[in-house]
Amino acid sequence: MIDTSLMISGLVVGIIFGFVLQRGRFCMNSAFRDIILMKEYTLLKAVGLAIVVQMIGFHLMATMGYIQLYPKTVYWGAMIVGGFVFGVGMVLAAGCASGTTYRVGEGMMGSFVALLGLMIGGVITSGGALMELKSYLQPTEGFLKAITADNPGPYVGNSNLTLANVFGLNPWIFVIIISIIIMAVLTWKRGGEETKVEGTLYEKIFKKGWNWWITGIAIGIVGIIAFLALKKYALGISGGWFGFLDALITGNPEKLNWFTFLVIGVVIGAAVAAGIAGEFKLRAPNARRLLQQFIGGLVMGIGAVIGTACNIGHILSGIPQLALSSILGGAFIILGCWVAAYIMFLRG
Amino acid sequence: MNSDVKPTETLDVRGEVCPYPDVKTQKKVKKMKSGEILEVLLDYPLSAERMPRSIEKMGHEILKTEKTGTGEWRILIKIK
Repeated sequence: MIDTSLMISGLVVGIIFGFVLQRGRFCMNSAFRDIILMKEYTLLKAVGLAIVVQMIGFHLMATMGYIQLYPKTVYWGAMIVGGFVFGVGMVLAAGCASGTTYRVGEGMMGSFVALLGLMIGGVITSGGALMELKSYLQPTEGFLKAITADNPGPYVGNSNLTLANVFGLNPWIFVIIISIIIMAVLTWKRGGEETKVEGTLYEKIFKKGWNWWITGIAIGIVGIIAFLALKKYALGISGGWFGFLDALITGNPEKLNWFTFLVIGVVIGAAVAAGIAGEFKLRAPNARRLLQQFIGGLVMGIGAVIGTACNIGHILSGIPQLALSSILGGAFIILGCWVAAYIMFLRG
Repeated sequence: MNSDVKPTETLDVRGEVCPYPDVKTQKKVKKMKSGEILEVLLDYPLSAERMPRSIEKMGHEILKTEKTGTGEWRILIKIK
């Protein structure tokens, strides 16, 4: 069992994260899918801003010596296959790992079913029937084996590749360049899409959906707090649920990890936010859709284990660390999302 | 409820998950004639905020967006 202070910190960070996710309607499936589906960029902007806030925050904390960065291992074949599979799964499940988790807190039973699929998919891939697939794509020898850095460079606590250490440059060069590019695009494209939120400050925070820039900054800050709390990584969703089911099956509390308490906190935080806003409602789609969401969850779970992280672990937490694994995995999550969305909604 | 505006048709997408409320509404809107009014009933928060924006982008008019109950919304669309 992890120690009590970590349990509490996971739960507390999770509750804040869940509150922010629900208020900001923060879902990466919507963010990426809606680019091609309805030319809607609001959530994508929130994702971009959250990445900038975290990228600067993580590197500032690392420069001051509070944390070290832990980019994930580059198993390039696994990142491509796992990322793509995860991206397809999240369209079927009608939500990414974080979107599915916060919607459980809103009372959406379809997301609850998707979550069960996610846990099962993850556990059978990490230690069950599909374990061979994972070992094939994450081998210790051969063509698909991990690529590591000879010289990890400043702030990196392991030997994995980042944009900075690949080129042997100071990470701040990339942090500054990428931040300027994202902020320039966000400023240039800022008009027209903000929801005009009216009312008192209380209503703006607790009753209405947030503007994208508030959501982006808030998610970024939660990510920085998560990194300072855990020290080894920032936010993650899928690994927490896999640990939860694993602990239930094996009866071994050692399987519970910091992220398990984080995700339980997310459900609680989202339920509280939805409850205050008058948006909590137990609801379910039809049987066909429930089945689709279950399969989507299963596919997401398989993809997350093969690709070593979900959308949160890669795109929200890994890319700000400049991790090459997460840039590759994230790109294929988006590609999988687009291919599935095209087939399901745009074809014909 | 709004007594002065009578919807031509009602689309009930309550229970539907992301992005079906939006996709079904867009399909329905395309089939309807100019000047007709579509009433959409939904219970998915993100769509309640996103749909008015995307429908206006298509050139139609949003007559009303109202919260009708816990986690439920009603949107009135006038077809261009």
